[in-house]
Order: sequence, then structure tokens, then C-alpha cells
Amino acid sequence: MGAFWTIAVKDATEIWRDGRFRWAAGLLLMLIIAAVAGGVHNQSQIARQHADAQQAERDVWLDKGDMNPHAAAHYGAFVFKPVQPLSAIDPGLDPFVGVFVFLEAHKQQLARHRPIEDATPTRRLGQLTPASAALVLLPLLVVSLTFSSVAAERDQGTLRPLLAMGVSRASLLAGKALGAMLPLAAVILPASAVGAAIVFWNAPADPDAPIGVRAFGMAVVYLAHAVIWIAIGITVSARARSQGAALVVLLALWFANAFMAPPLAMAAAKWFDPSPSALEFAASIQDEKDTWPTWDQRVDGVMERFLEGEFESTMAPSNVEVVALLESEADETALYDRRFAELFDLYAKQARTFERAAIVAPTLAARSLSMAFAGTDEAHDRQFADAAGRYRSAMLTTLNSELAASGRVNTFDYVRGRDLWEQVPPFDYDVPFARWALAERWLSAAVLALWLVAAAVAAAWSVATMRVE
Amino acid sequence: MMHPRAGYGGLVAFLARHEWRVLSSSAITRVVLVVFAMVLLIAGLLGAARTLRERETVRTFEQRAVQQRLQTTAIRADVAANERGWLALLPPSALAALAVGQGDVYPNYIKVTARSLDAMVSGDQIEHPQAVASGAFDVAFVILFLYPLLIFAISFDLTASERDRGTLRMVLSQPVTLGQVVAGKMIVRALILAVPVVAIPIAVAATASPLDAQFVLRGVTWTMAVLVYGFVWHGLALVVNARGLSAPANALVLAGLWLLLSVVGPSFVNLAIAVQYPMPSRVQAAVEARNATQEATVQGSQQLGQFLQDHPTSANVGRDGMRQFAMLQASRDQRVADRLQAVEASFDAQLRRQRQLASWLSLLSPTMVAQVALLDIAGASTYRFDHFREAVSVFQRDWRSFFEPRVLDAATLTPAEYAAAPTWHYQPELPVFMINRVMLRVVALAALAAVLWWVGFKRYEGYQL
Repeated sequence: MGAFWTIAVKDATEIWRDGRFRWAAGLLLMLIIAAVAGGVHNQSQIARQHADAQQAERDVWLDKGDMNPHAAAHYGAFVFKPVQPLSAIDPGLDPFVGVFVFLEAHKQQLARHRPIEDATPTRRLGQLTPASAALVLLPLLVVSLTFSSVAAERDQGTLRPLLAMGVSRASLLAGKALGAMLPLAAVILPASAVGAAIVFWNAPADPDAPIGVRAFGMAVVYLAHAVIWIAIGITVSARARSQGAALVVLLALWFANAFMAPPLAMAAAKWFDPSPSALEFAASIQDEKDTWPTWDQRVDGVMERFLEGEFESTMAPSNVEVVALLESEADETALYDRRFAELFDLYAKQARTFERAAIVAPTLAARSLSMAFAGTDEAHDRQFADAAGRYRSAMLTTLNSELAASGRVNTFDYVRGRDLWEQVPPFDYDVPFARWALAERWLSAAVLALWLVAAAVAAAWSVATMRVE
Repeated sequence: MMHPRAGYGGLVAFLARHEWRVLSSSAITRVVLVVFAMVLLIAGLLGAARTLRERETVRTFEQRAVQQRLQTTAIRADVAANERGWLALLPPSALAALAVGQGDVYPNYIKVTARSLDAMVSGDQIEHPQAVASGAFDVAFVILFLYPLLIFAISFDLTASERDRGTLRMVLSQPVTLGQVVAGKMIVRALILAVPVVAIPIAVAATASPLDAQFVLRGVTWTMAVLVYGFVWHGLALVVNARGLSAPANALVLAGLWLLLSVVGPSFVNLAIAVQYPMPSRVQAAVEARNATQEATVQGSQQLGQFLQDHPTSANVGRDGMRQFAMLQASRDQRVADRLQAVEASFDAQLRRQRQLASWLSLLSPTMVAQVALLDIAGASTYRFDHFREAVSVFQRDWRSFFEPRVLDAATLTPAEYAAAPTWHYQPELPVFMINRVMLRVVALAALAAVLWWVGFKRYEGYQL
């Protein structure tokens, strides 16, 4: 056994014997378990509601009786956002995005009814989740373990004798790092075990949902983040004037990472890429629509083209309105698709700025990655929105082309029933694989890896060059 | 060195002046003050810029609507009433620069139509979900989270080091009591942070708002709420200092208290609310609404003649046909709206009850108590948006009673008739209602602060030198 092992065991034993550590660790463990249990409870409840609602909606759609196909398009369909199993660990942005979309003719909407709108205002202060415990509370425990690691030896005058005994600085560093990790394992291991067990027993309703790789990804992120904080802790402890100074600096770093960085990063993101207000967004769509020909002008236009022989001679004159309808529908779909894509592109740019900000605050990178693996970030929301948009245009195409294909002289009283409704398949959304999520957030992964290396190098350099007295 | 005739107040003032000299030369205090002032300034300026932009947008859209109405020659009643409708806009409140609050969740406009269905339409407020999740970097955030930490940063060593060095004993050999010394120290510490925390935000907010009665009343209430919130944390620091631990031990205990009351407490309470009092499901409500209106919708569609319902043109049915169409559509809308209203009313009642139940849990943390009060005072709370909706629904009734007969008559409006249609003017809620809502919270915080200060001074009587 090298000297590092002796140092590690000595540090770990000292920490373990400290009653305050046992209290803090016990409290954190209980909070994590409560967070996992609460998260799984909420997640499974919401997932069931959404699945039931989707089923009920399908029944309503099929049983709505006979009507004109275009009236059926106006009748519309609800699409509910499937809830990801790992949102129990990191609900991410789920409470802040809409839970369902209403798909109808002529209009396209963003997902509506964000849970945050109905929540009590105090909800804005944040909710305890396993992810927030791992990314906010755990680093604080790390800070309390590491601020004194080297500084205390120096303050007490034991650092010089230790080095004089021939202990290399490398084994000192290894010993100090391991000495902090061992007590930490007393929290992390039981928390992971209990958490995994609770999540496993509440197996997802959707057996296809790929959670294994994603869960592993999250675990790696949390672990890497904790190691980064250990390295930061040792670095500061080795360079600080005293234990007290080390504690103050580390607490300030922690506060900046956990509380100041997220709102500041988003403020910067909005500064660089300002998003329109709801008012401006709605008005810009309306303004564009106002430049279009009116319905009567559209019908006249199609009629002219009909008389010029643009369409097959079999088309009955009243089908002119159907053609006009299909064309206006196509224009509207294109307009909404373009506007929503612009908005989502803007969101993606803002998210990129948030990721870049992780260069100064590593917790931001861990947050982005955690949400990405849980399937609860803005990129996954967009995937769902795109799927809903595709489903809408497929639905409208099925219904409207039925109208066109009917060949009826009078389309007003053309009525269809269940057999046509069944031709519109049920909405089915598959969550992309973990590697897609990782590819979307490659910047965060790179920054987190960079931090891991940089923090380790900084710790080694600090211990190698530190004052001894 | 002490004036012999100085009474208790005079002595405390003298001690406070001395403490001021000591504190103002310490590096920690300087760093704390500079950081605090800068952060308050940045948050305030971001808020002022946002408010000015919002005010400008609202003004632009108001003018646009008036312009559009003036330029209209003749317009079909249903187009004017429904398609065009009228935008009811919510201008930013007097203290909007200080808090975003729920403003990034609820939209500041509602499009009003004369129909019974879709009478009041608005999209969600557009904001990156990550920005909503992180919360805004506004003055309210700085006050709720950073202010307490900085209070602790300058108060964790009230007397411990002086006691350990023995200088406290020397001071007390003068004709002063320990209570007076501590009072002097506390007053200076409270003042040193109170000045920037009050002055900077109010000064910045004044640049982004007209200085009217709303601004003054809200500004005064805001100041009171911020001060009592600060006094709670000063009181906590006093109580902890009075226990007689060493300075580092005080720092650790205070940091733990902050973590518990400001971070772990609220987030744990929010988890408990989510598990114990979950808000009613919008998803289930949507399905219920669908079921409730199904029959009326389908029946109405059949009556309206299917395809015609969605694409009326005056060309193919004539004015009588249009009148008939309007009548049918209105009666179908009314039937659907009535059923929808029943579902929505029961949902809203359930939502209110759950929020009520959840709100008592939020009394467990001063941060949560202060957050609700500050958002309300700044005009960024749910109440403001509820009040807006109510005011708009009153306006919608006017709008509807003006247009409905004309729509049913399939009329075409002359410019004069169109100009006579009602217009929206936002009347902000009287501050007395806001004061009424927050008073209890502010008084509760003040009472808590008073108890803490009293306990602190009481404990100091047994302080071991």
C-alpha cells in the first residue's frame, strides 16, 4: 500500500467520525430518496394520465359519427406528449412546456398548458428532484469535505512533516482525492441503489422506451460532475490562505454555479438572440396572412385556372372550392411550419449560448446533459412538436384529399364515417435514442470533459506548487 | 472619550458610529457592498430595459389597432367582430422592472371576439422553457437569495472574534452594556445593506415607469416588504451569534440555515405539494371538455350544413342565407360554450382549492413568504393576470353586445358605426387590494423579525465573555 492509501483512509475516517458530516450525509441521502420516490410517483401519475387521455381521444375520434371530411379536420385531434420514464430523475423542462397540442384545419398551435401555469407561484423557486440533489446539493457536500483537505494540514503545521517523511505530492493529491470520495460513496452508493430500485419497480408503461443507456449516461454525468467539484475543492484548498478563505471561495463558486449561472446564462442567450413576445409572434403570423388573397379571390383564381384548362376536364365546377381549400391549407401549413421552425431555431440558438456558458460554470454542462439523457430538454420537446406537426399534415391530407377524390358535384353534403376516420392512424411517438440526445448536446459533453481534465490538472498543479507553510 | 450626558440612544449611536468606522475599513464589507450594488444594478437595468421594450410594444400595438380602425372603409360585421376582433393589452406595471415573476408564463394580451366560443384568445407567452425554469435574473431574485447570504457574510462575526481576542472585555470596562454594543453593531449592519437594497432598485425602476400614485404606493410597500425580509435574516444572524460559538462555527451554522430555509426548504415543500396536492390535470380536463361538447359540436355541424359552416361566402347564399347562417352558428357556439363552461368552472374551482391547500405549506420558509409578497407588489403575480382576464371579460361583454345584433343581421358596418365600437382601456387594479393581500405576509415577517431580534438580545444577556 502506498502512502496515498494511508492518507485516504485517515482523511475518510476523520470525516466519517465528524458528527456534522454524518448529519449532512444522512440528510442528503434522505432528501435524495424522497426526491426519487416523489419523482417516480409524479412521473407515473402523469404518464398514466397522458396514456389514458390519448386512448380516450382516439375513441372520441373514431366514434364522432358521420360528417364531412373537412368538418372532421375542423373537429381536430388532440395529441398528448408522452412522458419519459427518466423524467422521474430529471423532469428538466417538462413542467415548462405544453402537455398537448390541438391539431386542426387552417391553424397550427404550439403545445399548450404548461404545468407551471397552474402551479402555485412558489413553484418558481424550484422543486426538489434527484437531479437537483445530485447537481446542487451533492457539490455542497463535496465543498464541505474538501475545503479543509490540504488547508487544514497547512494551518495545523502537519503538511511540512508529512512531505518531509518522503510522501510525494502526487500521492498526497491521490490520497486527498480518495479521502473525499470514500465518505461521498456512503451517500452516492445507497442513493443510486435505492433510486435504481424504485425506478425499476415502477417500470415504464411503454416497454419500448430505451432507458438503460440513458440512465447510464445520467449516472456518468453526475459522477463526472462530482469529481470535478472534488478537484476544484482540492485546488482551492491547496492555494487558499487558510481553511476559512478556502471555504468562502468554494461557497461563492458553488452559489455562482448553482444559482447565478442559469438565469445569467439565459439572460445572455436572450440578449444575443432575442425572442419575440407572444403578441409580436401572433401578429407577425397574422400580418403575413393578411397579405394573402381572400377566400372569394382564391376561389375566383382557381375558377380562372379551371376555365383556362389547367385541371382535368372531369373536375366539376363546385370542386373549384375544394381545390381552393387544399391550396389555402397548404399555404397555411407552410406558413406555420416556417414560423414555428424559426422560433425553435431561435430556442436552439439560445440553448447553445446556455451550453457555451458552461465554460465558466461546469454545472450548466451537467444540467444540459442530464436533461438530454432524461429526454426532457428543449431538443426533445422540438422532436415531439415536429412529430405532432407531421401527424397533423398527414391527417389533413387524408381528409382533404378524400374530399377532392369524391368527385361529387356538391361537396357540401358529402359525408363520411368511421371507415375514413380509421384511415388516420393513431399518433405514435418514439423517443430518439440516447446517442441522438448526446449528439444534440455534444458541446456540453465536450465542455464537461474539458472541465474534468482542467480541474484534475489544476488540482495536480496546485498541490505540486503549493506553499507548505 | 464618551460624552457623560449621552443617554441609551446616544450611546448606541456613538457605538454605531464606531462600528461603522471598523466595518467600512474591512475588506469583506467592501467586497460585499460592491458585489451587492453591482448585482442589484445589473438586475435592475436588465429589468428596466425589458420593461421599456414591453411598454413600447404595447404602445405600438395600441396605435396600430386604432389606425387600422380609422382606415377601414366598410367592413362586414362578423369580420370586424371576430376575425379582426380587438386586442386587449396589459401594459407593464409600475414596478415591472423589479420582477418578471409570472410574466414569462402568462401572455400580456388577449384577442377579444364577439363569439361565445373563442371569446378571449391568447397564445402562451413565448419564452425559452429553460429561461422559465431558471427564473429571471431580476431584482426580486437578488433580494430573495443573495441579500440573506450577504447579511450573513457581514454578521457571522458579530462579537466572536472580539471576545476571543479579549477586546470585547475591554470595551465593556467602559460604562456601556453588552446590549448597547450589540445594538450598535446590528444597526450599522442593517443600514449598510438596507441603503443599496432599497435605493438602487427603486431608482432604476423610476427610469422605466411614470412616477404616479401606483409607483409611489407600490414603491413604499415594496420597500417595507424588503426591509422586514432583511430584518428576519439579521434576526437569525443575531440569534446564532448570541449562542457564543466561534466565528467559523457561526458561519457554518448560518450557511446551513440559509440552505435549509432558502433552498432545501422551498424545493422540498414544492415536492410535497406536487405529491400531496397535485394540481388537477389539464389533460383530463381536455378529454372531459371534448366529451361534454361532442354532441353539441356534431349536432351543430350537421345543422350548419357541414362544409358551409367553415367557409361561408356571401356569394353563394345571399344576405338572408348569411343571416340564417349567423343565427345557426351563434346558437351552436352558445350550446358548446355552455357545456365547456361547466367543465372549465369545475376545473378552476379544483385548481383554486388545490392552490389554497398548497399555500399554507409555503408559510414554512421566509423566502417563500417574501417571494409571493414581492411578486404581488411588483405586479408580476398570478393575481395581476387574473385581474386582467376579469377586466377583459367585462370588456368582451360590451364588445359582444355591440356586435352581436349586427352579426346576426349579417350587416356591413359603415366607418362611423365601426368607430363607435367599444375600445379597451386597461385600468390597473387599485393598490389597496394588493396591499390587502400582502399585508398579512409583511406583518408576519415583521413579527418573526421582532421575535428573532428579541430572542437574540435576550440570549446576549447570558453571553459568556
